Amino acid sequence: MSADLPLDELAALDEEAFRLHVREWIEGNYPLPVRHPTRRLHWHENKPWYMALSRKGWLAPGWPRDHGGMGLDATRQLIMLEEMERFGAARVNDMGLVMLGPMLIRYASEEQKRRFLPRILSGEDIWCQGYSEPNAGSDLAALRLDAADHGDHWILNGQKTWITLANDANWIFVLARTNKTGKKQEGISFLLLPMDSPGVSVRPIVNLDLHDEFCEVFFDNVRVPKDMVVGDVDKGWGYAKALLGFERIAIGSPKLSSNGLARLKQLAVSVGKDQDPAFLDSYARFSMELADLKALYEAYVERLKRGEAIGPDVSILKIVQTELFQRITDAMLEIAGGHAGLLEPMEDGLHPAGSFLLARPSTIFGGSSEILRNILARNVLDLPA
Amino acid sequence: MSETAFEDRVQSLRMIRDSAAAVMPADGGLGRVRALRFTLPGIDPAVWGSMGSMGWIGLRLPEEAGGIGLGMAEACALQEELGRALVPEPLVPGALSARLLAAAGDTALLPSLLAGENLVLTAWQQSADSLEAPGDPEAPRLFIPMAAAAGTVLLPVREGNGLALYAVEGTRATILKTQDGGHVGSLAPSLAGARRVAADVSAAMDLALDEAALGTAAYLLGLMERCFEMTLDYLRARQQFGKALGSFQALQHRAADLKIQIVLTRASVEGAAADLNAGAAGDARRALVSRAKARAAEAALRVTREAVQLHGAIGYTDEYDIGLFLRKAMVTANAFGSAALHRARYMRCAPGGQSV
Ligand SMILES: Cc1cc2nc3c(=O)[nH]c(=O)nc-3n(C[C@H](O)[C@H](O)[C@H](O)COP(=O)(O)OP(=O)(O)OC[C@H]3O[C@@H](n4cnc5c(N)ncnc54)[C@H](O)[C@@H]3O)c2cc1C
Repeated sequence: MSADLPLDELAALDEEAFRLHVREWIEGNYPLPVRHPTRRLHWHENKPWYMALSRKGWLAPGWPRDHGGMGLDATRQLIMLEEMERFGAARVNDMGLVMLGPMLIRYASEEQKRRFLPRILSGEDIWCQGYSEPNAGSDLAALRLDAADHGDHWILNGQKTWITLANDANWIFVLARTNKTGKKQEGISFLLLPMDSPGVSVRPIVNLDLHDEFCEVFFDNVRVPKDMVVGDVDKGWGYAKALLGFERIAIGSPKLSSNGLARLKQLAVSVGKDQDPAFLDSYARFSMELADLKALYEAYVERLKRGEAIGPDVSILKIVQTELFQRITDAMLEIAGGHAGLLEPMEDGLHPAGSFLLARPSTIFGGSSEILRNILARNVLDLPA
Repeated sequence: MSETAFEDRVQSLRMIRDSAAAVMPADGGLGRVRALRFTLPGIDPAVWGSMGSMGWIGLRLPEEAGGIGLGMAEACALQEELGRALVPEPLVPGALSARLLAAAGDTALLPSLLAGENLVLTAWQQSADSLEAPGDPEAPRLFIPMAAAAGTVLLPVREGNGLALYAVEGTRATILKTQDGGHVGSLAPSLAGARRVAADVSAAMDLALDEAALGTAAYLLGLMERCFEMTLDYLRARQQFGKALGSFQALQHRAADLKIQIVLTRASVEGAAADLNAGAAGDARRALVSRAKARAAEAALRVTREAVQLHGAIGYTDEYDIGLFLRKAMVTANAFGSAALHRARYMRCAPGGQSV
């Protein structure tokens, strides 16, 4: 097992030594029975891995050191990610780590940072993201979750939907309407509340892959104290968008595509198509696209690390990753023959149908590909509305 | 075609499409399909019986053989209707077995198969992506659709230059569930207790596999068309930003592109069916079938994939019907040869195909 290097020494290792160090630790410490899962694991399944990373201090490679992160540069963050992928380490319940945490670090009060960030890193708090509603999907600003002002607290009434792993979370961050006058983007506040608040109920929804991965969350006279607002009241839209920027970088991570490509190659070997010229050509194309994606991702992670604002152009990263991943899994289906339709993984653990289904919603959540293209056209290219 | 011959044909296609309503709920609902999902044997014997009594299982066979002697265009029209309703009863594989038994002059199994009293499936496939029945005596037979419902399995076995056909009663298949709620079976070929039905069915097998591939293409055509209609309905009804989704030009173009795929698939499938009726044989037939099946497989996956995308998150739920079309396409697209297999076969068989 690798030595327990202090962060300073770890970050100072040259890239190759850093890579080997990370690899060795993952191999020696990954506790779960599953590798390369084709669905999101629930908290009761991935908790041992979350806690192992927590104890090691490796949960938040991108967070600054003074908030308990590793403060790594972009190259080393990418190396960690590649080594996790190489091994097939499962994704953990990471909404606190990749979405809420970075947002709190920038916009929350010192008091809120002290209260919430350590609990994310210790695994005490598992967060979920309460943005969407039945009638506020792409048109998120149309959200209606009602927060009525009662002096020192709000009373929430309404519904959120499609909330990933809400059935695992003990905290939720929501966008709620605190003001009904003016433009719909104004009057939204960013609130934090425990899932066990009286009046909160959760109904899991079975997804296309037959898992209870996302949920409806109902709010029936739920009391939220006023100190649970992040930033200014009625100004939540700006923070919400900043958080979407972090989410888009997280989804833009080359993890899924690189895992998909490795699995595509194994599948080709398994079905005897790895020497097929048409396969080799598409494999070469995917490999080069993946390398391009990594270069783009690294540039965004570097910008994040320097504390730069993430602008609307991050849409490009999210589109590139999700659509590459989808095309890779499309290719899996085509070469898999009869295996393409199977419900369970093949004997060698490959699961083209599972990968294909996993890839489908990535162009829907976190800003659909269509909405992101609209954003690109309007806010990056300045084309007329 | 003369005027009256043309009208007869139109009439015959309309009749066959109308007759499909017999196994389909009038409201187009998928309740029956959902209820059968992930059950064994996964089909309704009464529906299989109706398919028999309507003559569908022997649709292509001459009347002397107990069939009703209709052409490939009618067979495809029927498959299209079944595809629209995601019907799980395995008519394509059943009709394939009927062809083989008829070619063998069998009188023991054929009548009950044609009547829909027995389901006879043929264990021809030896590799994951294939449209050939090599008949290796030792090779495991794979991906037998709805194998748990079969009363009898036909086993093609290479003997010298011929492809002999054996019948085995009962099924001893290993079952794997599929995304659409059905299953496939695999089995080790064993001739213990098997009855030799014919010494050589290679010519019939060749034709039957092509007809099955084309029938599958037609099923996919119906499936994608229904899925597309449901998507258009959704684009008209669902509002975001104060407008119907269908009013956004980006989505209008997407819908237009899908329509183009569907129209091309129809042209390809119906063209192939008509040419087969007119006597296309050998490599000409193979090229036509491959063109239609490659197009249908690709278009069906594209239409169903995009249908989910255009529905947004609700499309990614199990409770909403649109995903049933995607998951059926995942299973059916590669049945009787993937798009890649058919592209390669097209190049071998099309006139001038081998040279570029
Ligand atoms: C697996 C999954 C997990 C999710 N997890 C969460 C979560 O944890 N928290 C959360 O808050 N939400 C979550 N969501 C919800 C997600 O954010 C929404 O699905 C998304 O915002 C789209 O909204 P919608 O589903 O209502 O689709 P709609 O907005 O109804 O869109 C339907 C289709 O129309 C397109 N469209 C809409 N408007 C336009 C336009 N103006 N121009 C062109 N095309 C347009 C869309 O791109 C889409 O293809 C999740 C969704 C999925 C699928």
